[in-house]
Parts: sequence; structure tokens; C-alpha cells
Amino acid sequence: MLNELKKPFQYKKIDLDHIEAKKPGAYSFQKPKTDNFWGTVKRVGGYLAESKGLLTYVILMIVLSSAMALLGPFLVGVSIDNYIVNNELGTFGYMLLALAVVYLLHSLSVWQQHMWMIRIAQDTVFKMRTKLFRHLHKLPIPFFDKRQHGDLMSRVTNDMENVSNTLNSSVIQVVSSILTLVGTIAVMLWLSPLMTVITMLIVPAMVFGMKWITKRTSKLFKAQQRNLGELNGYIQETMSGQRIVKTFSQEEKVIAEFMEKNEQLRGTAFWAQTFSGFIPKLMNTLNNLSFAVIAFVGGILALNGMVSIGVIVIFAEYARQFTRPLNDLANQFNLLLSAVAGAERVFNIIDEEEEANDEEDAGELNGVAGAVRFNHVSFSYEGNDDTINDLSFRAAPGETVAFVGPTGAGKTTLINLLSRFYEATDGKITIDGKDITTVKRENLRRHMGFVLQDSFLFEGTIRENIRYGRLDATDEEVEEAARLANARSFIEKMPDAFDTKLSVDGGGISQGQRQLLAIARAILADPSILILDEATSSIDTVTELKIQEALQRLMEGRTSFVIAHRLNTIQNADQIIVLDQGEIVEKGSHEDLLEEEGFYHGLYHSQLKDEMQTTS
Amino acid sequence: MRTLFPFLKPYKLAIYVALTLTLVELAVELLHPYFMSRIIDDGIVAGDLSQVMYWGGIMVASSLVAFAAGITNSFFAAHTSQGTGFDLRSKLFRKIQGFSFSNFSKYPTSSLITRMTNDVTQLQNTLFMSLRIMLRAPLLVIGSVVMAFLVNPTLALILVVGVPLLLAFLLLIMKRAGRLFKEVQQRVDNVNGVVQENLAGIRLIKAFTRRKHENKRFIKASGELKDRTVRALRTVEITMPIILLIMNLSIMAVLWFGSFQVNTGGATVGEVVAIVNYTTRMSGAMTVFSMIIMIFSRAKASASRVADVLNEEVDLKDREDADPNKRIHDGKIAFDRVSFAYPGTETPVLDDLSFQVNPGEKVAIMGATGSGKSSLFQLIPRLYDPDKGTVFIDGTDISNVTMERLRKQIGFVPQEAMLFTGSIKNNILWGKEDASMEEIEQAAKSAQIHDTIAKLPNGYETELGQKGVNLSGGQKQRLSIARALVRKPKILLLDDSTSALDMKTEAKLLDALDTYQCTTLLITQKMSTTINADKVLLVEDGRITAEGTHDELLEHSSLYQRIYESQIGEGRADHA
Repeated sequence: MLNELKKPFQYKKIDLDHIEAKKPGAYSFQKPKTDNFWGTVKRVGGYLAESKGLLTYVILMIVLSSAMALLGPFLVGVSIDNYIVNNELGTFGYMLLALAVVYLLHSLSVWQQHMWMIRIAQDTVFKMRTKLFRHLHKLPIPFFDKRQHGDLMSRVTNDMENVSNTLNSSVIQVVSSILTLVGTIAVMLWLSPLMTVITMLIVPAMVFGMKWITKRTSKLFKAQQRNLGELNGYIQETMSGQRIVKTFSQEEKVIAEFMEKNEQLRGTAFWAQTFSGFIPKLMNTLNNLSFAVIAFVGGILALNGMVSIGVIVIFAEYARQFTRPLNDLANQFNLLLSAVAGAERVFNIIDEEEEANDEEDAGELNGVAGAVRFNHVSFSYEGNDDTINDLSFRAAPGETVAFVGPTGAGKTTLINLLSRFYEATDGKITIDGKDITTVKRENLRRHMGFVLQDSFLFEGTIRENIRYGRLDATDEEVEEAARLANARSFIEKMPDAFDTKLSVDGGGISQGQRQLLAIARAILADPSILILDEATSSIDTVTELKIQEALQRLMEGRTSFVIAHRLNTIQNADQIIVLDQGEIVEKGSHEDLLEEEGFYHGLYHSQLKDEMQTTS
Repeated sequence: MRTLFPFLKPYKLAIYVALTLTLVELAVELLHPYFMSRIIDDGIVAGDLSQVMYWGGIMVASSLVAFAAGITNSFFAAHTSQGTGFDLRSKLFRKIQGFSFSNFSKYPTSSLITRMTNDVTQLQNTLFMSLRIMLRAPLLVIGSVVMAFLVNPTLALILVVGVPLLLAFLLLIMKRAGRLFKEVQQRVDNVNGVVQENLAGIRLIKAFTRRKHENKRFIKASGELKDRTVRALRTVEITMPIILLIMNLSIMAVLWFGSFQVNTGGATVGEVVAIVNYTTRMSGAMTVFSMIIMIFSRAKASASRVADVLNEEVDLKDREDADPNKRIHDGKIAFDRVSFAYPGTETPVLDDLSFQVNPGEKVAIMGATGSGKSSLFQLIPRLYDPDKGTVFIDGTDISNVTMERLRKQIGFVPQEAMLFTGSIKNNILWGKEDASMEEIEQAAKSAQIHDTIAKLPNGYETELGQKGVNLSGGQKQRLSIARALVRKPKILLLDDSTSALDMKTEAKLLDALDTYQCTTLLITQKMSTTINADKVLLVEDGRITAEGTHDELLEHSSLYQRIYESQIGEGRADHA
């Protein structure tokens, strides 16, 4: 198995200029608004700054530990000179005590700064993650229809992980590096300005090298995180479509496609890692070179009597001290790049336009009677032809309105418009005379109960799934709702009855049973407006009769919108609206429409045709 | 971790090269102080400029050598870590594709995703680091101890006491941190799980305005992740101050004993200074240990999670002697006393069920919700194996045929029309990779979706979102039927796949199916469908309670009569 994985040792040369231009997939993302490095850093900094108090404490601890780190060797030097070289042991005990205190403080301050920095960093990550998640819920439905779920998941975990890793260490490293740097330069200048200038010669080389590397890594890290997201998306999709993969025996095809994405990730990740690996090497080399230059130049100067040997030795040591923090900073900068690549992907979502905000003055609906009116409503999916075209109708409070028509006539779209999952491109929808765009979305939906085509269940018990309809419902109410939906009998046959756990893929529970649970959920919600989107399509007709009964009861006094294919289930509707290609072709009661001998008449008869054949 | 070692094998050479190169770098670094002393002693002190030039030149040259070594090392280390990560992901994905549904029930999708991305990334980073710096720290420590012994064995003993203590302490922390990081990764799974559910159920959440409830769930999962991360990291970070303290205390001990030694003439001042210097170097190297420990404990946790998946026993396998070439000729299907319960449950969904379907027949399966119809379907392409009894196709036990061979000849249309991101054409191609455009269109026409597709601005090239969201329910169903038809299957399984179709479309579709030479099983709730079927099977509580043509059942089965009444009775009364 490993053999096939053995790939020849070759990586395609990465075309840096086009890494970013490449489309991330069929559904390209909206151009990110925060495509600037420092902007992103600042935003993350903004989150960090929320823990100002702790942050100040951490910085104080860093200052303390840096001071102790300098004081320790100094005391050791003094000890050697005073007590070992001169061998006067009189006060040596006090000196050792002082050293012990310094060392203890050093360790303590190091411990404290890490301890609290971890807290700050993780709090920050937590805040960002929460913000991201909250924002996801504010996004309009079309957003989710376009994105791969796995890619979004990758942002919440993998990208945030990058930010987290960096925050854990960066602040400490950066602050202590700067402190050491300033301190060292000061001492060096004091010792010999000329040698200092020579030592500083490596700084431009460093800056140049860093620029060369980061120009590459910043792009590569972004590409890497994007590729990781795509891979995540692909895994997620093939996992949730396993049934199809298996029944169609398409494992090989899926694996081949996966390999392609995997290969892309390896390509970018390889170069990202290689280039970022250059940084410490470059620093080390410059470090070594400056050491050599100091020795070399210093040697010549010393020969001319311009500096002493001692100064050269000290400078060589300081050159090391000077480049170490620079080295750390460079490494941190690199980590920062990968964190920024992650943070940017997170911010891209946070900046994604929310479900057009509820208008400032958006009101609330109270005690809804349920008079619904569509007034010249049109709607089209992005750029396509109108799916709904200049459509008008009214539903009086308590009425049941059924939508009938061939697939793709726009029935589900009407429901999406009424609940404002999608916004009408033209026209107006009112409830009790109030334009629904002037009502807060959440408030609007709170008055509606849904049984949707795709009856989604959450991982959890049956009880929890029904209670989703109304979170404060008692156990009795939940069970009563299940009874009304005729779900109780099957639930009680399950191993743990209402406490039976359901898995996400719903193994062991049939599609029809899922619909029953969805109905129970809607019953529990007790809405003023009820929306049933092919709610009973997968339920056997005997059970459906019982549900119809329950639904009849439920629909009493509520305005209900029903989409159904079996016409006999909607014969009692007050109004049947026949749709075709986004327009109303006919409207009226079952009897009216039959008399009209139009479209509905035809549909109805095609349903009866077979039955007529068998009975004749 | 052991499971994962073989993954390093293909990169043996690269690993050796990378490690050798780190040694080169290390050597250069250790030699520089020596070169420096030569410049001072032979050059400056002796007043010889050419010596300064000579040793200076060597220093510059060796720096450049180290640079070249470092750059090359970076390349090989990245190749090893990224290559291993790539192989791991590939192997994992392949393994998971072979999972049976009972394997899947052990790992939530979100956890599998975390393992394949997040955990593998951890391992990759560990490898990269190992090949670049980890060798350095231990070598520096060992080198310093050795040098210290060469300088003054008595004083060096102090270090020998300190180092094992530290190592024991580090091992302890590593073990503990490993456990904690495993918990962290599990919490990543949970966060992933909540996000995944929220994305999949977003419509429902919005419809029921349960944003706050979901936020609470997320904050709980995310909060736990945070707490575990903090706990794990804090455990690791405690190592650095303690290492510092112990090493610093050793310095004090060296000073203390050193002063006595110098007094008694057991050591020179220079020796004490040198040992203090080596101790300082060691503590510098050892602080890197806290990072090493963090990386290794994380890697350990991730490695065991990855290994769990790789070691998972796939419980639905081809038999050794399964025939990879068996053709389905007639499409005769027989269930012989089949019983089945979903893995992990006790209640059988199918109970001693037998029936037979003749080649080319169109059989409708009817029954109450939860009676076992879909479960019965899943046994035919061997998504599950029955607990008892046998399923035969053309008289052969289906476990005698390889799963791939078997499934390739079956057209399956599940209840939920699962489509994939990609073009419509690609979605149909799922059924048959090498289908020509004519074949695709033919299948689409039979599935009554061709006209709809043709009307789309991009026709067959139209891109679908995840799960085909930009199509209506009925369109998705028909596309999923086209996907099954394009392979011209010998056996066609339609699991209530026409529920969202209106009557007219459905009738046309069923007519079109007649042109396909295949045995068709369809689960349905609609009388209109069963009337056209050659035979109807009535399933109740996992058993077949009635079997026969529509007319026969109408006469003998009271349940069937009731269903009939419920659907057509009323309509007929009205109409008559």
C-alpha cells in the first residue's frame, strides 16, 4: 500500500504570482475585505487588548524576568571575581542567598508570564471563535447554499488553531526580544561605537533576507490554509455522501479526487514550510558571519592598536546576544504570517455581509391573526430568470392555502420568501397588513411553524429533538406533541423510547419517522402560521391519514400553507393555488377548480387515471 | 505511535540527509569559538595579519557552508514532513472509504475530519521540528556534559546529579501532557461537530429561531476546548521555569563547591568559569525542551488518534474467494429468511424475511413508516450484511461477489437525493465515469430532467452547490435517478425516490423505466405506482405480510385495502 504512495521526489515550482489568483473552487469567495497584513494584525490585537489588565501584568513579568536574566550572570561574575579568584569567603553566604532569590524570581516570573499569557491567548481565540460562530448564524441562507460546509468548519478549527499557536508564544517572545535588543545595543554603544556600527552591518542584510522570504511565505501560508479548507470540504462532503459513494462503488474516483486536493495541499505546504525554514538558518548564518566580521575587523583594528583584545571578545559575545532576539523576532514574524493567514480567513467570514440587517426601526409582530398577502412579488436566484414572477394572492386568518404545481414551479420558493430565507426581488409580502421586511426576522419566524422537506435531526435524544420546537416545553408536552403527530407508537417501540439517542446520519430511523418527529416539533412550537413543505411525502398513506387528522386539528385557527403532491391530501384546503413556472395559473377551492376543467383538473385526473383503469 | 513508523520508511534517505546536515551546522557553530581563539592567539597577539586573514576567511567560508547545509536541511525536512502528512491523509482517506456503516457509527464525521486535517498537521509539524532542532538540544546537552567532564570531573558530577532528575521530571510532564492534549483534540472534535450540525441544519435553526440555543451549545463546546487547551499548555509551560531553576541552582552549587576546590587546589579558577559556562549553555538548550515536550505530547495524542482509525477493523469485507468478475445476467433477486438489526441495536428491523423477484420484474414495496423497507434495500448492494439468512442474486449468494463488482451493476436511488458539489454532468457521471454525452442525455431524458437541465443557462455544465441546494426537491430526485440510470443497471433500486415528483412527471418516468432491461424494486407510498407494478410486497414490522399483484392484494389484504381506501377511495367517491 505504501508503494503506491511513494512519489518521485519532485515538487512543482510554485508560481508565486498566481497562487492567489487561482480560484478557490467553483464558488469563488467574495473578494476578502481585509487583504492587508497589518490590518489583520491590528484586529487580532484589538481582541487581545480586551484583556488589558492581564496583558500589563504579563509584560511586567517579562520585564522582571529579563532583568533577572541579566542580574544572574552579573552576580555570578561578581562571585567569581570576589570569592573564587580572591578567595574571600566571608560574605559568600549572603551572595549565594542573593543569587538564590534572583533565580527564584526569574523562574517565578517566567512561569507567571506564560501561565497568564496562555489564558489571554486562549480567551482571545475563544472570543474570535464565538464571534465567528455567532456571525455564521446571522448570514443569509444563500451563503450556506454556496459554501462547502467542510471549508467553513476548517475556519473554526484549523485556522483558529494557527492563531492560537502564535498568540501563545508571540507576545512574550516579541516583548522580551525587544527588551534584550535595546539593552544590548545600549551596552555595545557604550563599549565601542565603531564596533557597534560594524556589528549592525548585518541588519540591512537581515531585513533584505526577511523581505525576500516573507514575500513568499505570506502567500504560501494563505494558499496552504485555503487548500486545507478545500480538503476539509471535500472530506466532509464525501463522508456525508458515503451511501452514494458506496452504492455506486465510486471509492476509487473519490480517492483520486481526494489525492488531487491532497497533492495541492502538499505542494503549497511544502514550499511554505521550506521557505519559513530558511529564516532561522539565515539568521544563524548572519550571526556566524557577524562573529567572523567582528573577529576579522576587530583583529585588524587591534593590530593597529585601535581596540583591545578584551573588547573584541566581549563584542563577539554581544553580537551573539544581539542576533538572538533578532532571530527570535524573525521566527515570530514567520509564525505571525501563518497566524495572519488563518485570521484572515476567519475575518473574511466575519466581514461577510449579514442577512441584510433588520431595519433599524424593524418592529415586532404581536398576537398575529395570520392574514397573509403577496402583492406583486417577484424573485430570481442570482442572475437567473425569475423563479417567481409578479405573483399575488391573499390568505385570510385561519385559512389553509395549498400550493400545487409541477416540480420547479416555485412552491418552495414562496415558502422561502414568506419566512425571509430569501428576500423578494420585487413586490411586497404582508402579514396582518404589515410588510414583513419591517419585522425582525427572528420575531417573524417565531410566529411560524415549519415542517420542511428535508427533516433534519440533531445528534441527541428523540426528546431533545422534539423539544427543539419549544425549548421550555415539559416532558408531558413533548410526549403529547409526539402523540398528536402519531409518532408516539413508534417512539415507544425504540429501545429507550423518548430517550433513544439519534445519530446524525439517522441510522436505524426511517425517513418517514424523521418526518413524524419534525411534525411533532412543529406541533410543539404552536405557531400562528404553519408551513408544511411536502411534510408527508415519505409517510405511508395509512399513517398519513392519521397525521392529516392531527394536522387538521393543528391547522384549526392557524393560517397554513401546504405543499403536497398527493392532491387528495389538500382537497379540504380553503384555497388551492396552482403554480406553473413561477406564475399562478389557477386559484380556488377544490370544487371550483375541478369545474374550471383547467390545469388542476388535468393534474387531478392524471392522478385518478390509474385508479380508474383498475376499477373499470 | 508504532503504527505510524512505517510511514517514515519512504523518507529514510531524506531523514538521514536532514539529520547529517544539522550535524554540519552544529559542528560549525561549535568550531567558531575555536577559530576565534586562533585569530586572537595566532593573529592579534602574535601580530600576524595573514593569520587574521586566514582564520577569518575560514570563519566566513564555514558560515556559508552551514548556510547551505541549513537551506538544504529545510528542503529535506519539509519534504519528509509534508510527504508523510500527505501519505497519512491518503492512507486515512482510503481506509475510511473502506469503512462499513458500523465502522462509521463509531466515529462521528467531524472527528474523522479533525483526525485527517488537524491531527495530521500536528504530526507534520512535529516531524519538521524533529528534523531541524530537536537533535540539536540533546546534542548540546550531551556535548556540554562531556566537555565539563574533560575540564573537571569532580565539579562535573554536580551536573550528572541534576540532569537525570530533570529527565525524569520531563518524562513525567510529557506523559501527563500527552493525556491532556488528547482531551484537547477530542474537544476539537466536539467543536467541529457542533459547527457541522449547525451548517447542515441551518434552515431548521433559522426557522425555529434557535440561534441563542445553538450559540449556547457552541460556547459550551468551545469553552471546554479553551479550558483543556489552557490546562494542557500550562502543564507544559511549567517545565521551563523548573528547568531554569534547577540549572541555576546547579550553577550555585558549582560556585559553592568550586570555591572550596579552588581553596584546596582541586580546581583552577578557569575551570570553575568554564563549567559555569557549560552549565549556562546547557540550560539554554534545555529550555528548548519545554517546546519539544509540548510538540511531542501533542504529537503523541494525535498519533494515537490517527492510529485508531488506521487500526480500525473493517467489519464488512470481501471474502477471500469473492468473485471479482461475476456478471448479473438476469437480475433475479431472492431473500432467504433474512434477519437484520442495525449494529449496536437489538431490535431487528428485518425478521426472518423471504421473497423472490424474477428477472425484469417491476416490484413495488409498500409498508408503514419504519417497517423495514429501506433496510431491506440496503442489504442488496451490501451496505450491511444480514445477521441471519442469505440474499441471492441470480441464485448466487451475494457475499460470493466482490462488493465493487456487485455495486457496479446495481442502480441505487436513495430516499434523500444526495448530490455533490460540481456540475450536473459530473453528478450524472458518478453513475458511469466513461459515459458519453449521449448516454448522459439519454439517462436524463428517461429521468424526466433533461428539459429542465437544457433550460438552465449553462445546461449540463451548471454548477451545483453542496448537496445540490440550488435545485428543487423534485429536481434533485430526478437527477439522482438519472445518475442511477446512466449505468444501465441490471437491478434498479428506487427508495421512494419519486415522492417529490408530481403525478404526471412520475408516470412519464415510470414509463421510461420500462425501456431499461432491468429488475426494478421500488419503495413507494403511492397506489398509482403499485398499480403499474408486476408485483407488490407489503412489509409490516420487518416481515412480508402480503405478496401479489395489485388486484390480488386488493382482494386478500385488509391492510392493502385500507391503504387503497386512504388514497383513492375518497377521490373516486368524489368523481363517481
